[in-house]
Amino acid sequence: MRVSLRDVPGFAFTAARLFGIQSAFSYERMLGIGFGHAIEPLLRPLRGQGDGSRYHEALARESRFFNSHPYLASLAIGAAARSELEGVSGERIERLRSALCGPLGALGDRLVWAGWLPACVGLGLALATRGAGGWAVAAFLVLYNVVHVLLRIWGLRAGWMVGLRVSVALSHPVLKRGLAVVGPLAAVSVGAALPMVLGWAVRLGGPSDPTWIGLSGAAAGTLVFLGAARLVGTRLSGLVLAIAVLGAAALGGALWP
Amino acid sequence: MTLGELLGVTALGAVVGVDLVTVPQAMTARPLVAGFLGGWLVGSPTQGLFVGVVLELLALETLPIGAARYPDWGPPAAAAGALVAPGPDHVLPSSPWPWLLSLVLVAAAVAWIGGWAMRAERRICGAAVLRRSAQLDAGDPQVLVWLQAWGFVLDVARAASLTLLALVPGGWLAREMALLWRAPSEVAEFALLAATMGVAAAAVWRLFGRGTTFGWLLAGAGAGIAGLLL
Repeated sequence: MRVSLRDVPGFAFTAARLFGIQSAFSYERMLGIGFGHAIEPLLRPLRGQGDGSRYHEALARESRFFNSHPYLASLAIGAAARSELEGVSGERIERLRSALCGPLGALGDRLVWAGWLPACVGLGLALATRGAGGWAVAAFLVLYNVVHVLLRIWGLRAGWMVGLRVSVALSHPVLKRGLAVVGPLAAVSVGAALPMVLGWAVRLGGPSDPTWIGLSGAAAGTLVFLGAARLVGTRLSGLVLAIAVLGAAALGGALWP
Repeated sequence: MTLGELLGVTALGAVVGVDLVTVPQAMTARPLVAGFLGGWLVGSPTQGLFVGVVLELLALETLPIGAARYPDWGPPAAAAGALVAPGPDHVLPSSPWPWLLSLVLVAAAVAWIGGWAMRAERRICGAAVLRRSAQLDAGDPQVLVWLQAWGFVLDVARAASLTLLALVPGGWLAREMALLWRAPSEVAEFALLAATMGVAAAAVWRLFGRGTTFGWLLAGAGAGIAGLLL
């Protein structure tokens, strides 16, 4: 059965609300409030049943703690909405929501944050260094958001179609293939972009600016930061270290004899 | 910078800042985009793009994962993109490096503050949620709308404040640092590229420097170097 926009009342409203799912993000409920807000249009058919208590019970349940990747939360929303409308017990729906937090978070982090996002950033950086100007920015935004929007909408439709059998959607071949491809793609993209950015930056100073200064700076920085990352591991914030290096340089530049 | 430009860049900073987490997460908060747009608003898109690219190197290590505290690059990048062109060229006409270093330092500091501000915002949101837990437990749809709107307004205020922080005191501080610079500009170039390329390389290494992606990373780096040399 294919779900079209006409088949599901409230689908378009829910789809639009997905983009603001983290508006009321808090450490207590994480995405819970946004989840409840997004699913609410799909639950409206329950308002007309009896005294409407099923609608309010469902909404209270769906606004509780939920945490996953924000794009893939749509899969859980679709599945939960269908389960609510089909009268599945509240206990089973709560188990479904809890069970989906980890897998959707891990999948989204690998697929988007550590895959598609760096792949698109690398492409944008590479295009910028080749003189594409604003087109580099436009290419980055369009490319990234095609997948972003498709992922949210696909998740909602897929979740709705499978309901409690959400593992079927999670093992979709497109997701599996995407996971296999996106890591290498991102590695190639950012791997190519970094030397291109460096070459672009060292040309900024013009022909009188010796290239070896920029190259040696980048090499020294890479060694120091890689060494620091190895020593301190993921607890190290490169940003704080960069602020320290730049601050020391600014002070040294001002106190230069 | 005129008052109109100041207001325009602040509005831009608010929009890209809200994009980071709240709505719609379309990645306009990436420095590559925000820096370009900031420069474009004041008529210098090329310079804005340059500072955006440099800040993007620092932002490569930022993965906006859930409850983690991560820097907010959008507002300071928009401000830096708008500030970079009218730098103190009359004082340092021969090289842009000290001015760039000062701007990047200020933008990085504001991005770091942005991470803490977001944490505070989430706590405020959490308090609002707790105060309305009875209505939430009763399944009141209006309270959901109210909380979402409250979170949005808070985030707009946070992002706009960060942009103003980067533009006004930040811009003044960056200008003063650049004016105080007495070392050869090559020192600034060395330090800036060491910090930015170092952070980017370490971030990329952490993400792709092992397992099956390692070979692809090397292949990409080889292609990038070949592209430079050819």
